[in-house]
Amino acid sequence: MWAYVVRRLMLASIAIFGVLVIVFVLSHVIPGDPVAAILGGQAREEVIEAVRRRWGLDRPLYEQFFLFVIRLAHGDLGTSLATNRPVIVDLRAFFPATIELATTAIVIGAATGVAVGIISAVAHGKLIDHVVRFLSLIGLSMPVFWLGLILLLLLYARLGWLPGPGQLDIFVSRPPHVTGLITIDALLARDFSSLGNAVRHLILPAVVLGSHALVGIARITRASMLEVLGQDYVKVARAKGLAERTVILRHALKNALLPIITVIGIYYGGLLEGAVLTETVFAWPGLGRYATNAILSQDFAAIMGVTILIALIFSFANLIVDLAYGLLNPKIRYE
Amino acid sequence: MRALHALAVLLLLAVVILPAAAGAPPSRVPTNVLVIGTVISDSVSLDPAQAFEFSTTWVANHLYDTLVDFSRDFSRVVPRLATSWTASSDLKTYTFRLRSAKFHSGNPVTAQAVAFSIQRVFALKMAPSFIVTDFIKAPSDVVAVGNDQVRVTFVQPMPEILMACVLANPVTSVVDPAVVRRNSPADDPQGNKWLTDHDAGSGPYVLIGWNRNLKIEMRGFDDYWRGRPRMGRIFMQDMPEPTAQLLALQQGDIDVAMNLLPGQFKQISAQPGFQVKATPTFGLRYLAMNVGFEPFSKPQVRNAVKYALDYEAIKRLYEDTIDAGQTIVPAGMFAHLKDRPFQKNLDRARALMREGGYERGFKAELMVPVGVDPPLPDVATKMKEDLAQIGIDVDVKVLRNADILAVYRAQKHQLAIQRWGADYPDPDNLAKAFADFDSRVLAWRNQWDNPVKAKVKQAVLERDPAKRAALYAEIQKTVLDEGPFAIFAYPLRQIAMRTNVKGVDPSPLFQTYDLSNATKE
Repeated sequence: MWAYVVRRLMLASIAIFGVLVIVFVLSHVIPGDPVAAILGGQAREEVIEAVRRRWGLDRPLYEQFFLFVIRLAHGDLGTSLATNRPVIVDLRAFFPATIELATTAIVIGAATGVAVGIISAVAHGKLIDHVVRFLSLIGLSMPVFWLGLILLLLLYARLGWLPGPGQLDIFVSRPPHVTGLITIDALLARDFSSLGNAVRHLILPAVVLGSHALVGIARITRASMLEVLGQDYVKVARAKGLAERTVILRHALKNALLPIITVIGIYYGGLLEGAVLTETVFAWPGLGRYATNAILSQDFAAIMGVTILIALIFSFANLIVDLAYGLLNPKIRYE
Repeated sequence: MRALHALAVLLLLAVVILPAAAGAPPSRVPTNVLVIGTVISDSVSLDPAQAFEFSTTWVANHLYDTLVDFSRDFSRVVPRLATSWTASSDLKTYTFRLRSAKFHSGNPVTAQAVAFSIQRVFALKMAPSFIVTDFIKAPSDVVAVGNDQVRVTFVQPMPEILMACVLANPVTSVVDPAVVRRNSPADDPQGNKWLTDHDAGSGPYVLIGWNRNLKIEMRGFDDYWRGRPRMGRIFMQDMPEPTAQLLALQQGDIDVAMNLLPGQFKQISAQPGFQVKATPTFGLRYLAMNVGFEPFSKPQVRNAVKYALDYEAIKRLYEDTIDAGQTIVPAGMFAHLKDRPFQKNLDRARALMREGGYERGFKAELMVPVGVDPPLPDVATKMKEDLAQIGIDVDVKVLRNADILAVYRAQKHQLAIQRWGADYPDPDNLAKAFADFDSRVLAWRNQWDNPVKAKVKQAVLERDPAKRAALYAEIQKTVLDEGPFAIFAYPLRQIAMRTNVKGVDPSPLFQTYDLSNATKE
């Protein structure tokens, strides 16, 4: 298996390099001027020229790419034009907020989605199945932005059950930085009031963000379970007189899990890219808004930094999903 | 499952049926703290030599002091770090006497610090540096005389207001040289990276921290020369979504909301416990016509466009949050000309098209930015409809402003909707941009090289206010009658707040006036 992992990692690094080349070329050939984007419409020509020289943007494209790769090899992602800080510092600041949100969202989405999917499959064709399918259709077609605002209006403004936008109440100070994840850092510092505050702030955006994953996971779970529930070994299990619960969870679900795990992995990878709309509604300082800002201002260093991060996330998510297959189904061999 | 379903229905009903809280729920913010909901994600740097965005210049104005300041109506120059000043008879050299003040570090503010700070602007050459370098030739023209006097020599005679345009601008904020030097590594000798999110000022507030896309936090400076500010702490909380900002204001989590939508300002101003304050800003929205594009080389065609636009309809698209001014010097600024000759008049416009030789019309591309000012794409659509009536077939392209700027600066556009905000509150800034081809800003981008540019150079040198006003009136009239710009809006700045908040007022120049007089009851 380890040989397989190493080979996969090598393949992944080739893929990531390919992605880098493509994104670098694309982000440089599309029209627009990053310096003008940052400095705005009122900057003088001579200042724009000076900034362009300072950032090496006056050099030929291949030279810029070459410099980028050399710096990357030294672990330097460059400095962001839009934040005047090293990109690595920006990523360290914004990515933890996204990890925290995406992980909570996927836990909510996967736990609820799998449960709902199983219930729906078991009650196949009954009223509850129709209701679930109807609700999931609504869930899929409901814009995240709208759902976020409705939930804010209801649970924050009208009922006052949950706090408003932001990661923490403004007067709550952040726990000392260890991982950058506020909940984990608060736990490490045994600062339970900050922890409680952070968790309360997490609920709404995580539910909103998790809702799409929930629906997708529920649909796959239902389809996959329906297929498995029709198999002979399930009939045999039932004929043996096993409890229905055991039949569904031990015999059926275990065999239905492969596509479910794949979908969860893909959703989690997607959520880790950041979610600009949810982050905007909930004033969440995550990767989505950083990446969007980088793209809008053609902030090359930041775009490349985010690209590398996302390519890494997807490579690892895929690898972990593939390894999970082996754990779930010992018949799968890594070659 | 049935229970879940019922709950969902109940929740939905609750949203619809539950009445909005009458009046304002009590604020959750203590009275010595001010929380402002705003957008800080545009912020690049708090280094005063680099700060050039709405958010950063606003914050820098609280962290740092400048030599002088404007009176609230921008008609006079008032002391700040300088207690008094004298000008040479040719108005080219000013000598300032400094008050006794301290930096946040405890170091005294000295004449050397003032010279160091302005010299830094030359060395860094960042976006706002032209405000200094247009008027001061070399770093050596700023000289410390002893510890408490500074002599500044300008390239031209500077009436007092114009002097203040340079020396009250945040770019000339005084930084603490000792602190800057201590934080300047070899590859960044001016300490620009460090000053990006630290402060080395003497202003009424001390920067506690800036968490990007989250908040900027400041505390009152105990040793401020004007006395400790009454508001002990100020938070600028990043809330990019206007509706979320509105909810937070209503719930009492923020005291002031800066970025509501026009309709939301109307809504909140009608709600007891809240108020909305507004001011005109020193800014413009305009339609640019590139004279290098054949049809617009004809002044008649440019004026036909100005007569074809429906200015009242545009104002309605902005839900009345603009003043439909047409001259380049905005209302409230020295020498503003009130003329608004262009109203929709299709007969006149068609006649002008005929005179220009384009009675059969032509095709033109109109670029409009997305995300800059929400109503602009709708304004472009309205303009397309208006211009179709005089035979101009407009193709609207909605683009990122960065993409438009690349084309605009290369003089390759045909029509573009853009905005301008005064860099300093003097008509010279607008005149240079809109009428002086040689400044290489807007007249240049639209390839409009008009002899009026000589007047621009003359007006900035004129020492007699009446004559100066007359020159700017002439420049404004020329741009209005012949220029390649159809100006359609002077935007208003509105801010919403709880009624217990006093001393927070929108300013034509910054987001608000200095917040150190703000209080809460």
